Amino acid sequence: MALTPSVTLAGARYRYPDTERDALGPIDLTVLPGEWVGVVGPTNAGKSTLCYAIIGLAPQFFGGRLRGEVSVFGSPTASQPVNERSRRAGLLFQNPFTQLSGARERVDEEVAFGPEAHGLPQAEVEERVAEALRLTGLQDLRARHPLDLSGGQLQRLALAALLAMRPELLLLDEPTSQLDPAGSRALFDVLRGLHAAGTTIVMVEHRLEAVAALCPRVIALGEGRVLADGAPAEVFNRPEVQASAGMPAFARLAALVGKGPPLPVTFEAAVEALRG
Amino acid sequence: MAEIVLRSVCFDYSSAVPVFREPGITLSLPQAAIALVGENGAGKTTLTKLLNGLLRPRAGSVVVAGTPVAERSVAQMAPVIGYAFQNPDDQLFERTVRDEVAFGPRVMGRPKETVQAAVDRALDLCGLAGQASTHPHDLVLAERKWVTIASALAADPPVVILDEPTLGQDWAGRERLHALVRALGGQGRLVLVVTHDIDFVAQACDWTVVLSRGLVRYSGKTALAFADEGRIEEAGLELPAATRLARALGADPAPVGDEAFTAWYRVQPA
Amino acid sequence: MARGISLYVEGQSPLHRVHPLTKGTLTLVIIALAFIAPSLPWVLALGLIVLLLLASAGVLARFLAILAALLFPIGALLVIVQGLVNPANREVLVPLGPLSLYREGVLVGILTAARLADLIGATFLFSFTTRPADLAETLMQHGLSPRFGYVVQSVLQLIPQTLETVDRIRNAQQARGLEIRGRLDRRIRAFLPLMMPVVLSSLVATQERAMALEVRGFGLKVTRVTRYRIPDSVGQRVLRWALLLLLPLALLARLYGWR
Repeated sequence: MALTPSVTLAGARYRYPDTERDALGPIDLTVLPGEWVGVVGPTNAGKSTLCYAIIGLAPQFFGGRLRGEVSVFGSPTASQPVNERSRRAGLLFQNPFTQLSGARERVDEEVAFGPEAHGLPQAEVEERVAEALRLTGLQDLRARHPLDLSGGQLQRLALAALLAMRPELLLLDEPTSQLDPAGSRALFDVLRGLHAAGTTIVMVEHRLEAVAALCPRVIALGEGRVLADGAPAEVFNRPEVQASAGMPAFARLAALVGKGPPLPVTFEAAVEALRG
Repeated sequence: MAEIVLRSVCFDYSSAVPVFREPGITLSLPQAAIALVGENGAGKTTLTKLLNGLLRPRAGSVVVAGTPVAERSVAQMAPVIGYAFQNPDDQLFERTVRDEVAFGPRVMGRPKETVQAAVDRALDLCGLAGQASTHPHDLVLAERKWVTIASALAADPPVVILDEPTLGQDWAGRERLHALVRALGGQGRLVLVVTHDIDFVAQACDWTVVLSRGLVRYSGKTALAFADEGRIEEAGLELPAATRLARALGADPAPVGDEAFTAWYRVQPA
Repeated sequence: MARGISLYVEGQSPLHRVHPLTKGTLTLVIIALAFIAPSLPWVLALGLIVLLLLASAGVLARFLAILAALLFPIGALLVIVQGLVNPANREVLVPLGPLSLYREGVLVGILTAARLADLIGATFLFSFTTRPADLAETLMQHGLSPRFGYVVQSVLQLIPQTLETVDRIRNAQQARGLEIRGRLDRRIRAFLPLMMPVVLSSLVATQERAMALEVRGFGLKVTRVTRYRIPDSVGQRVLRWALLLLLPLALLARLYGWR
């Protein structure tokens, strides 16, 4: 049974305007519906650019040159403006504050912004808002002013705002990088629920321990290209990945005491490996 | 002498928002790489702002590297404390990284040659030597943070404060931060790192201060900071990965830091 | 974090409940009448009506405080300047050495100040009793593009946020050794390090916000769905027209010798 991939890149390359090198590419990559893919790599490896290319901001927002194929749900990203794509795909950015519209004084009104912009009838807007707040655990905060929220809560609010459109594909660009551990945990919990419900997730993350524990598939990028693509245990044991993206703390500790290769990449695996 | 001494320091933002109540904070910090940890709202940032005069205590005294802070303006504290703020975009304004890093010592009136040398050293330590002529806003956020760290080092202050330096850094960035903090400590400076990254604390900082709800719960060697489980939980902290792993393997007390972990593991029965 | 500037004061008074268009018409008519009315007693009578309306909305005390702060310096300036140099000045009221305050000028100054007070009162009457969201919604229901509606709604939060940013920047640059107080040359040299980060960080924030809005569907060309109805009525519509009719009537009255 052939599923239409959620994301397809074939020979894709992208260059920002006024730059001399491609920020991304050439890349070949397919993500199937329901997958949760972690994307890792050093700063400037092209991870954010990959997200922008998939959602269409590159090149529609930035300008620049896109070559090769980038398709979402079977159609090229160029065939649709970014704001239309929000019906099926969403992108969560790093900074919790700048994702606020700045035009709403209540959490639930903020979440309603997207559905309203799509011209959905009021009753449906309210239903989607309630659902999105429930998914992100923000129901008790629905009447609060967004600026009264903590960073972690704001990030969940930004996610709720995307979920109100019921996207099948969710892209996350370093979603926890500005959050404290509690905020990160809360966000990952929401993502776990979404994955269980079938949402396709592509998550750029530096918290390698979380990636190894949550993502059945990891793609390591380096200098705009794919270095490795597979299960966490496989990818984080590749020397070229270890030298650029690093490895989860548990793998590092196992290596320190002489265990492996292959190194365990999760807490449980490390406990096993060090016990034996 | 790179030291920080707080005596009975009381502070509140308003009567409705007390931070450090009577009898106030009394704390002595030695020359070392020091981690300041605690949940949001515990008073970490407030404490650091009391150190360079951005906030003034209602009562008590603050002395940094022998300088009583009450007698100095914020700008006059700059040669004593290099402060790298959390948001780099709150300070960047020059056209090149080099000019940006040189801003502090220039404004303090240091002679040109000294400034050049100090800037070069700071850029090297921060991995920015290759970006000296780049416009800071052509760098991504994680790289811009390094520019603010280099700026804090450029005036050669005895005390350096880093506010959440690990946020958004990749693995190489965090390694460089470890190395930086160790190097600065080795140079005889007091480095105070405000952070949530408990693994960074365990690996890079010899001394840890745990702040919780306006009170100092612990100030001492990092190796012993995690011994009291109640304190850890109450302060909203997690255990570092190595400590967690060792504890799951039966260690009690569980080692803190890579060296302690390796040493502990070596003496385990096979 | 700073929430947002808004003069709106919660309340259930008739003025609060009335439609923004009605309130807006009232405000504009009062302002126009304040300048059409020919003499001080009429302007003051209008002012009394404004004060009564403010009292009915529960915001009188708040308004008087603002009025004092705004009007006294301006009013005093008006009275003094007109008192000194108005071309119709003839009768000395207060001799001040080589200059004098003349009665005619002083009266003109007082009249202008009273008109200004009416204007300020009418404006605040609207602002205190109208939710910014309701204003934006009304405007958009009457054809304002959602992009402009967004601008109206976001500017209120933008200003305090920018002020907070300026504060943080000042702290950060001072902590690097920048003296911002004292001698003039110091203040001049501090301008760029204080101003540039505001501009640059605003640009960065704006770009990030624009991307986030785009991704959420901002700017789609869709028929605007009425989000909620602010209650209007035939009575209010009649009232609005009646108020507007006062203007040509007042002008006619002036023509026919209203004093």
